[in-house]
Amino acid sequence: MKFRLRINGTEREVDVPRRTTLLSVLRNDLGLTGTRFGCGAGQCGACFVIADGRAVASCLVTVDQAADLDITTVEGLAASAPTRGAPEDGALHAVQEAFVAEDAMQCGYCTSGMIMSAAALLARDPHPSEAAIRDALAGNLCRCGVYVRAIRAVKRAAEAAA
Amino acid sequence: MSWAEREPERLEQRIRIEPDGTVVALSGKIEFGQGIRTAFAQVVADELDVPIERVRVVLGDTAQVPWDMGTFGSRSVAQETPVLRRAAARAREELLARASHKLGVGVERLRTDDGYVRDGDGKRIAYADLVRDRPLAGAIPERVRFRPAAERRYAGKPMPRLEAREIVTGTARYTADVRLPGMAHGAIVRPPVRGASVRAIDDGAARAMPGVIAIVRDRDLIGVVAEREEQARAAADAVDVDWAVRPPREDKRWTIPLREDAGVDEALRAGALHLDASYTLPPISNAPIGPSAAVADVREDAATIYAGTQRPFGLREEIAEAVGLDEEQVRVLPQMPSGTYGRNSSGDASFEAAILSKHAKRPVHLQWTRAEEFAFAPTRPAAYLEVAAALDASGAIAAWRYDEHTNVHTGGGFDPRWGSEASGRNAEPHYRLPLARVTLRIEPTPLRTASFRSLAASENIFAIESFMDELAHASRQDPLAFRLRHVDDPRLRAVYERVAERSGWGRAVSAGCGLGIAGTIYHGTYIAEVAEVEVAPSGAVRLVRVWAAVDPGLTWNPDGVRNQIEGGIQQSASWTLLEQVKHRDARVVTAGWDTYPIATFRDAPEAIDVDVVGDESAPSTGVGEPGAVPIAAAIANAVFAACGARIRELPMTPERVRAARDARS
Repeated sequence: MKFRLRINGTEREVDVPRRTTLLSVLRNDLGLTGTRFGCGAGQCGACFVIADGRAVASCLVTVDQAADLDITTVEGLAASAPTRGAPEDGALHAVQEAFVAEDAMQCGYCTSGMIMSAAALLARDPHPSEAAIRDALAGNLCRCGVYVRAIRAVKRAAEAAA
Repeated sequence: MSWAEREPERLEQRIRIEPDGTVVALSGKIEFGQGIRTAFAQVVADELDVPIERVRVVLGDTAQVPWDMGTFGSRSVAQETPVLRRAAARAREELLARASHKLGVGVERLRTDDGYVRDGDGKRIAYADLVRDRPLAGAIPERVRFRPAAERRYAGKPMPRLEAREIVTGTARYTADVRLPGMAHGAIVRPPVRGASVRAIDDGAARAMPGVIAIVRDRDLIGVVAEREEQARAAADAVDVDWAVRPPREDKRWTIPLREDAGVDEALRAGALHLDASYTLPPISNAPIGPSAAVADVREDAATIYAGTQRPFGLREEIAEAVGLDEEQVRVLPQMPSGTYGRNSSGDASFEAAILSKHAKRPVHLQWTRAEEFAFAPTRPAAYLEVAAALDASGAIAAWRYDEHTNVHTGGGFDPRWGSEASGRNAEPHYRLPLARVTLRIEPTPLRTASFRSLAASENIFAIESFMDELAHASRQDPLAFRLRHVDDPRLRAVYERVAERSGWGRAVSAGCGLGIAGTIYHGTYIAEVAEVEVAPSGAVRLVRVWAAVDPGLTWNPDGVRNQIEGGIQQSASWTLLEQVKHRDARVVTAGWDTYPIATFRDAPEAIDVDVVGDESAPSTGVGEPGAVPIAAAIANAVFAACGARIRELPMTPERVRAARDARS
């Protein structure tokens, strides 16, 4: 079946079975592999994308449901929000910049999902408390254990945007 | 092949300068989040005097890098930086000599500068121009002159990891992100229990399903290859297999004496104070966020394997045998894997993808599910640790007896009897003990077990450092002072004292809170940690804050060191407070994050303070694992300080803490 999706500000058409997940479409049909597979059950956050402003697990959304949503993946994040430079010059989203500055990553597998949660949080709450940061990112599991750094990175991003 | 049989390393195996000036540094080690790519680039950029952006580090590609046994034991920086450093220094020496010849100027009048050799008169020549006709080659001398420390631009300075930008923009490519022309997707039909054999198979329904390319049966491995990932999975679920479940293989038992002084039992009986206790740890899962994945392209006369592996050369050997090719025909291209902390010593997914690709005659992408990862990946063995000690009249340890009961901690072709290095790691305490008997008993288990961060060291140090705390309290001594009176090594003493100072050891804490201390020496790295916990009336333990002091010798990237230690602490705190693999009848029943909770953002401590007190004159030692080793005991000791509950069995659930607290009152 054919579906039209709006991803990173661009209309994309895919021809896939109706029950295909958005995650599979991103990774296998659109080459957007920055959204990672982790559990397929919405329990780890590795596959989070921003859909209509909210961080959602793309492994739980079918392509059919996704057709009505405005979707941003980690690849399109820098272009989706005002940054200090033009995205074509390689400027990053404030959250991405802060994660680099704090080295808030190790293997980096969970990082894209974490960044999407943080970006969605700051878009709705530009100055979150530490408790709000912990709550907003509680769905993003990190096995390398960079939580303390990631919290620092989100605070840094909030300050940078202020 | 082993280390001993290897030829001395050569420059051309380690450093290459490309026509565009890129410096390629080669190593058989693998990056999976430890930051070694960055550390290696820092070393090479400094010794060769090039900007770090111009260094490309190639890791683990069996077609390019020198043979390596594998990436484990926190040894990458210790093992590899000295060689890379000497290679880079030798390369610089050679470039200066060639420039001297070419410019007709004595070497003493030349200097290197950012990828060029310059003379005093403004003439310069690029490195690339000096190697164009004659690539760098030759032996790497044991002794070579290094650049003065003052001229180093990168070493010892915090550096964001080189992959950071790709990671945050999603352009980093992990194993599961490899896409090849004509690539199909695979899925494996799993038996109910590991090691079952196939009696009969009915794949009629699966064959007729959309997208199915091949149903593969190779001995007891059954898999499906299809155009799409979800088609392969659906068809695999539709294959009906009659499995013959074999009783679990009875592994051998080994009793390995690690230290055997005469007269320990007598001394234990004669002591002024005698104490014994036992400690229990459950099996736990490496539980990578990304389940195993591989892409294999197996042809008639060659194979390429895109793998998450810590042992590219070992995997190459295994794959060659499995698909019937010579080792030289197989290229293993390690990809950035999700952090797996030892699990990638076993190349399951690569092996399966290779078999599927061989039969389907297509490149095959194989992604394990979360449930497959929990059920079929190896676990860290359970451990049961019995300790007894006697103190003399002065309160010093007179005798010590330690019995470690556990299972094999290694996979990937290691001899399990390599006990003290694996299953017995850190079983011998880091304290001065006049008399001791330490025995490792490797026992059978129905579970598949293998390597997990620090192997048995975390289990042993949980027992040893908890017991040291018990001895201190039983003899009314301060836990830190009691430890220090058994420490001779000044570097060990220094980390204990440093962490005590930073954490304010001995200070008053709020009601329900407590401080606990623990430390160890792990593969030459000295580390001590203090945990502050808060115990709720429910028995729930909250890790409030952690302090660590670590001495890993000469450090290249101090922030990289801190990140590794912090991660080890956070991960190990999760093992301690939350984790246990559940199994029944030799079958792992844990299948998802709902039944295997790990620490989340809500569980993270307020801060992890890591003080790197590296001795610059000592050789570099590892930091990937040591952070994980003392924290279980530090937490247990803090819980005791907070509420008097001595927890000797992990995970430290609220029920256990409540029971121990109630038993006391």
